[in-house]
Amino acid sequence: MGTTASQLGKDLLSEYQELTFLTKQEILLAHKRFSELLSKEDRNLTSVPMEKVLSLPELKSNPFRKRICHVFSTSDMKDGSLTFEDFLDLLSAFSDSATLEIKSHYAFRIFDFDDDGTLDGGDLEKLVNCLTGETEDTRLTPEEMRQLISNILEESDIDKDGTVNLSEFQHVISRSPDFVSSFKIVL
Amino acid sequence: MEDKECNSGGFMRLVSEESCSSTVTDELCVNNYQTEIFNQLPSSLARRRTHHHHQDRGTTETSHPVEKHPGLAGEARDRALTQPIRSLPVCMQRKREARDLRHLQTRTVGRWESWKRNQSINRKRLGEQVGEAMSRLLPWSSTFHTIEGRFGVGVKAYFVFLRYLLYLNLLLCLVIGGTILTPTVVYDSDGDRGLLRFEGNDSVLDFFVGSGFLERSPVFYGFYARSSLDLLCLNTPLLFLLGTLTVLILSLVMVVRRTVVGYKHTWLLGNHYHIHMSYKVFCGWDFCIHDPEAAALKLSFIRNELKLYLEEERFQQREARRTLGQWAHLYSLRGLLHFLVLVLLGGAFCLIYYATMASQAERSGDYLILRVLLHYLPPVVITLVNFFLPHVFRHIAFLEDYSITTQVNATLVRSIFLKLASLGMYLFFLFKNSQQECWENQFGKEMYKLSVFDFLACFCNTFFIAYPRKWLVDRYPSSWLARLSGKQHFLIPFNVLDLVYSQTVTWVGLFYCPMLPFIETVKLTAIFYIKKLTVLQCCVPAQRMFRASSSSVLFHFMLLLGLIMAVITLGSNLHQFEPSSSCGPFVGSATVFNVTAACVDSLPGPAQSTLRYLSSEAFVLPLILAQIVVLTSFESRRRANGKAIERLKDMLVMSTSDKHFLLKQHTLSLRRRKKTFKAPTTVSGTREGSPTTMKDPSAGIGEGSHIAQLKDPSAQPTGDDSPS
Repeated sequence: MGTTASQLGKDLLSEYQELTFLTKQEILLAHKRFSELLSKEDRNLTSVPMEKVLSLPELKSNPFRKRICHVFSTSDMKDGSLTFEDFLDLLSAFSDSATLEIKSHYAFRIFDFDDDGTLDGGDLEKLVNCLTGETEDTRLTPEEMRQLISNILEESDIDKDGTVNLSEFQHVISRSPDFVSSFKIVL
Repeated sequence: MEDKECNSGGFMRLVSEESCSSTVTDELCVNNYQTEIFNQLPSSLARRRTHHHHQDRGTTETSHPVEKHPGLAGEARDRALTQPIRSLPVCMQRKREARDLRHLQTRTVGRWESWKRNQSINRKRLGEQVGEAMSRLLPWSSTFHTIEGRFGVGVKAYFVFLRYLLYLNLLLCLVIGGTILTPTVVYDSDGDRGLLRFEGNDSVLDFFVGSGFLERSPVFYGFYARSSLDLLCLNTPLLFLLGTLTVLILSLVMVVRRTVVGYKHTWLLGNHYHIHMSYKVFCGWDFCIHDPEAAALKLSFIRNELKLYLEEERFQQREARRTLGQWAHLYSLRGLLHFLVLVLLGGAFCLIYYATMASQAERSGDYLILRVLLHYLPPVVITLVNFFLPHVFRHIAFLEDYSITTQVNATLVRSIFLKLASLGMYLFFLFKNSQQECWENQFGKEMYKLSVFDFLACFCNTFFIAYPRKWLVDRYPSSWLARLSGKQHFLIPFNVLDLVYSQTVTWVGLFYCPMLPFIETVKLTAIFYIKKLTVLQCCVPAQRMFRASSSSVLFHFMLLLGLIMAVITLGSNLHQFEPSSSCGPFVGSATVFNVTAACVDSLPGPAQSTLRYLSSEAFVLPLILAQIVVLTSFESRRRANGKAIERLKDMLVMSTSDKHFLLKQHTLSLRRRKKTFKAPTTVSGTREGSPTTMKDPSAGIGEGSHIAQLKDPSAQPTGDDSPS
């Protein structure tokens, strides 16, 4: 239900202001950037394919860019393409007025690589690989990875079921004083 | 046979994680998430709702995202209904539906309610915008961003600390300007006392030594006198004293507040490496980074920190495995090194003593330059000692075989002790020998010289050591000198120590040289730009990352130590020595506090007796007792909370294992029933028929028999194990 018209209607604008954490200027800027992404393609398309979204400078250097697209995408084909409303949802969750709850909720979903609702050992391993770099010589050794994952589980897994669920994740995040300010993408 | 089977497959210790991540595909060990009933659990349904609302868009299910949560108990559901729409973690379409539903429900809300809600939203938005505008006014934020991107959070913490000290000094300047400078300027009855003019003997060197022109200016204590403002309770000396006291109390409040806030954060993160690791992995990435180079650097920082934590944990494990002989050897080595440290400290103090004696000895007839150099001998010695000894301490700590954090902390503690103690010794020697007229001016001059020389040292360090070293390493990287010195890193602890030292000097000398905060403000601004230049041009990022969070608490605590030392020095001065009779605003009184006594005496009776009571023991002792009682109650509440948390954690672990156990049991019995339904005549014991005694961990042994009844009665245990 996004709009590709060059102008954004006033009531749509106020509706978006009500439903997201973005201010009016931010919504208009988002609309402008989204239209730029679409302008090279067919005008009738309402959603931008994932490769185009990943070409945004704000997302290009992010190791979690693909996961972000998959999490916010509402397309039926699960290909990570974003409509304008998905894009606004993305910016709203990453804006600086979003609450800690919503940020931690989306952070959890981004880190949940297999989308099963919990962070198990495989998710954590992929997460650490994203954080240490893509190439072979920057990864941790398997021994270090095993030690790291067992330490993380020992600390974060309070109910000792071998996975980190959303409440345990939020418990770790709530101790961090600057998670809110680092989990931010501003156009 | 059957027992062996039970032991191999049947016993499940559900309290540990090995059971759930086991790779045995035996039917007995069923993964939780493959059980059929798992999808019907309230917690899974709650999770699935939020997922599906994001993904199915074409389904006819347009249910309200919140009300169909069977898992959300009453309180959570109410919270979900009343929290703002934009805080719901669902996609835009679902938010629209939620809003429409809410409008339907709350149509009866009157105009007053909606107006109030609008007003509160507008006020919150206005507050956010003001906060954003204020934070944009903070200077140098773009510099901080650049530095953080290139050198990490630790170096940025140093510059943030510098900016904080700058603000503190600006505040002190304001207070001093208001209470000390303004009355003197306004009420100076002698008008043009002719003291602020250049005279014949003045020279530029006066700025370095503090004599001549500067001695007669408002910089030092001797300038201020009892002026025409001479009421009993509002006179220049009283304002002078009040100004100094206000400044010290304000500094104390601000530094304590900052230390406590930092300590709370560190305490939350705890002292275990596990917490640091999960914290680093979950909160480590900064999503604001756009530049690919900065992103690569950040990735390498994170990797290095993770490796550092892992290495420290391995060090701890290695330490736990040390034998008695190794411990004995290590302790004797450490004892020797501690003794070495004490010897070095003692030697440093002796040097300072001799330098002080030498500079105090008046020698006329020497060249002017020589006299200036001799004046500066103590500051030079102190600065040299403070420059070289911390590096020696660093190497000693390395030899003592501590973990890396302990090494850094030990070096820091020794260096701060060296700095503060050398300053304290210097002051002590000064006071022992002060028998001159206007000794306050003398003291103020010494502090002034220390401050000026500290700045000169920083300046020389940058331009005569840092830049040449960089030039050498760049031009002749293979020469032995370049290889010896290595690439330059920005050593955060030592730079922070310098800042703490200069701030302590300011506080100590405040009473005798009221313009010190102004000088310090100018100095800090200059130091900021010099250090920025050094970092950006000459240094490379360190591979071993300095853990900023716990050490910033240490920095503020060191600042607090410096402040306490300054307060103690000033207090003992004011009590012991009487004001000199030739200069300053306290001429003629036996102690500095005579002015306050005079003011108190002039107050009406009740006020006087109240004030006398407030400063007597009868008030102070009960106050201290009351504080002790309050602290004890907080501490016992904290302990009770800690115990409650442990108990709740145990309950949580137990109920999760109960849940997993019941899931498995249910699935197994379902599957067994299905199999029996399919092949009712099978007599040969299939695997699921073997008597497995799954022990419920939370129940006692007595339950085992009850569990055994879940066995399928038709399947008989036989000897052969035909695989199913």
